[in-house]
Amino acid sequence: MGVVHGEEMVLNIGPQHPSTHGVLRLKVKTDGEIISEITPVIGYLHRCFEKHCENVTYDQVIPYTDRCDYLAAMANNFGYVVAVEELMELKVPEKVEYIRVIMAEFQRIASHLLALGVYGLDIGAFTPFLFMLRDRERILDMFEMTCGARLLYNYMWVGGVSHDLPKGFVETAFQFLDYFEPQIEEYNNLLTHNKIFVERTADIGVLPPEVAISYGVSGPNLRASGVQWDLRRNSPYSIYDKFEFDVPVGDGGKGTLGDCWDRYYVRMLEVRESVKILRQALAQMPKDGDVHQALPKKIRPPKGSIYSRTETPRGDLGFYIESDGSPIPSRVKMRSPAFTALAVLGELAGGWMMSDVISILGSLDIVLGEIDR
Amino acid sequence: MSADQERLIAELVEKGLAGEMDEINAIEDRVLRGKVKAALAKAKRAAKAAAPKEEKLVEESPTDAPPSENPHQKFGKMIEDKFPGSLAAGLNDTHIQLKPNNWFEIAKWLKSEPTLHFDSLQCHTGMDVGENMLEARYNLHSMTHDHYIEIRIAVSRDNAKIPSTEQIWRIGDWFERETYDMLGIHFEGHRDHRRMLLPEDWEGYPLRKDYEVQETYHGIVVPKVKEGWE
Repeated sequence: MGVVHGEEMVLNIGPQHPSTHGVLRLKVKTDGEIISEITPVIGYLHRCFEKHCENVTYDQVIPYTDRCDYLAAMANNFGYVVAVEELMELKVPEKVEYIRVIMAEFQRIASHLLALGVYGLDIGAFTPFLFMLRDRERILDMFEMTCGARLLYNYMWVGGVSHDLPKGFVETAFQFLDYFEPQIEEYNNLLTHNKIFVERTADIGVLPPEVAISYGVSGPNLRASGVQWDLRRNSPYSIYDKFEFDVPVGDGGKGTLGDCWDRYYVRMLEVRESVKILRQALAQMPKDGDVHQALPKKIRPPKGSIYSRTETPRGDLGFYIESDGSPIPSRVKMRSPAFTALAVLGELAGGWMMSDVISILGSLDIVLGEIDR
Repeated sequence: MSADQERLIAELVEKGLAGEMDEINAIEDRVLRGKVKAALAKAKRAAKAAAPKEEKLVEESPTDAPPSENPHQKFGKMIEDKFPGSLAAGLNDTHIQLKPNNWFEIAKWLKSEPTLHFDSLQCHTGMDVGENMLEARYNLHSMTHDHYIEIRIAVSRDNAKIPSTEQIWRIGDWFERETYDMLGIHFEGHRDHRRMLLPEDWEGYPLRKDYEVQETYHGIVVPKVKEGWE
């Protein structure tokens, strides 16, 4: 009998689909159940972030950055204010630096918890998602306690933060960490070593380190491929050089280096490191100090440009800011980590089964708000 | 300021320059502490300004001149040596300004040359710099050597063509499509040259400074950017 040739079929996943984590369309060419080509189509959530920035003053940009990566708004605020401060050569008080790091690390835990939980949900494990969302809720409560908002904070300002930490924050934070650390073990028992979960993720969607670097993949996705690269360690910004923490990398624990399971597990390990940083930061933070002390009266950076990077839960977030000396930025470019992570999907998903594509896409942890801007 | 105080400040500044900040930080009187810190900053600035002159003296000596610290100076010079006539402007500390013609070969060399090894295109963007010129900017980073440069290529609006680096850094594919989408710079040799974020039949390039929003799109009225606050 000769070889049977099937007909190729073009299939659309999205733009409205629960597994695409937002409004993303995947144009998929299938040969039976095997994917031969996959093209992400983006832009459904494009809100002209960069064009808006050219019409508002520097501080008015901050609320827009919230809405880019809406699952890690604190980290986006942080990235933007660090860039503007670097451009202005502004030094912020030590207490502000500590508060920012504390917020950014809590945000990292919250963002990773959602990423891990939703990833389980993609694969079909419903329970871990509820457990992780329950704990994420407590972090959001702490944010609400600090600045009144639960999702989009506009908390970090150029030169300071909007509110000082409220009374009892440090105690609440320590209580949460004491409660939270044993929970990580529970997640591991529920999901990480679950046979069904491992079968669906190990050895699937392997991303070699050279390909990852060429595609500009960063953050946990890059570290899962075995590249030890973390901006908090490699080029420390703010006060990250004061803390002791490890940079976890993937080791192919359940299959091959750089597979979906590695990308999942690196995030789980990172949560532990964030707890470590938080414990140090909360203990070392200066008791008094005015968080509004260094706020500039007028934000008017000198003429010039800057490219500044920070490590968000999703990877290297870069802001390229060009200033012409006026209070309105001449150009703001946001290099978002999820953008580069989605670009690699075409390379990763070719040759895999339809169900694996969902698994690969989920493991990249993308946020469409940040990709389309 | 009394002479006593002046002497005290001078003493403390000397200590500060030697790296002993504890004593200065322990001063109770806020005014005095401020004065000491201001004097210290001034002394440090003066020391910094004096330092480069000495370096220049060393460079003038016939022995091997030490390579200049700034990566843009250093790598700009290397590019000029390898590809003569490719620099569009003199060397400076913030970026390397190149001509568009042989950008592809230069980019390929920047990645493959073992001492440079710029394996990561961190950021790529475009800008309307006025006077009928558009500029593409590349932020390159080397993971192995941990060095970083910014490259700028200016082209005129009438002939906005730059060789594509999509086959060198794979992320260039999406980055360049976005720059084309927003500024209308064409990347020659790009294998999938389409708009990225806007619809395929959108008119104009939004990030050009003289951009005007089209009135309607497929019969839908396009909202205008509001001027000022309402």
